[in-house]
Amino acid sequence: MENKKGYYIDGDAIIINRKLNSLDNFLRDFLEILKKHSDYLVVSGYVSISSGRTRGTEDIDVLVPVMDKEKFRVLFEDLTKSEFWCYQGDTYENIYDYIEHKDSIRFAREKQMFPNIEFIPIDETRKAKFFEFSHPQKIKIDNFEFKIPPIEFEILYKEIVLGSEKDIADARHLRTFFRDNLKEEKFKEFESVIKEEAK
Amino acid sequence: MKKIPVKDLDYVELYAENLREDSSLFEQQGELVDSQIESSVSIFKEKFKEDFKKAAREYLKSVGLI
Repeated sequence: MENKKGYYIDGDAIIINRKLNSLDNFLRDFLEILKKHSDYLVVSGYVSISSGRTRGTEDIDVLVPVMDKEKFRVLFEDLTKSEFWCYQGDTYENIYDYIEHKDSIRFAREKQMFPNIEFIPIDETRKAKFFEFSHPQKIKIDNFEFKIPPIEFEILYKEIVLGSEKDIADARHLRTFFRDNLKEEKFKEFESVIKEEAK
Repeated sequence: MKKIPVKDLDYVELYAENLREDSSLFEQQGELVDSQIESSVSIFKEKFKEDFKKAAREYLKSVGLI
């Protein structure tokens, strides 16, 4: 890695200039399976942590469109075969109720509790989440490429909707770290979508 | 003149500012993340020795996570 900067832009991807750590490897292994069956978007705390925010985390939030029962069965069985276990249960029939009702479920590696993936089912009725899902930004760490929301969206969502001390600090980190690449017009575009969610 | 950090958010900003210019600082963060996960794995393996999933779910229920 010759470039000393924390990140740079390559085409339409943000390249974070660092090696993978065990949290990245956990997400990469999960996404390798998920991507075979569904689209996704990685959101919230991990976006800040992956770009260097120094704080602990127990989970990684992943948005996944609601899928039908058969599609979920195949995904669930692939995950469990690949040594992920689901907090909510061991059989897809019972777990599918959560998906249908758009309630989150969690997956961790076999014989581990943390970190876990918060698997968040979404559809068009979850407007802000569906909006960010529909506007993915590529990000790459070493050889691991995945999708996150636009950084401006992530910042505003943390500042306006979430608003805890941790979220405000995450937003400040993102505003500072990505300072050269943030676009005012994107903040304006995303603000109305996010304010609608905050009502 | 360099800004002197006073509040927590000032430190967050200062760290992000330095990280932006110097990717070697990611190493510290990687070590922190790795050690956090390593400790967690070891604690829960020890705590739920026998039937891991059953014990883990009982624990998760007791703390209201499921």
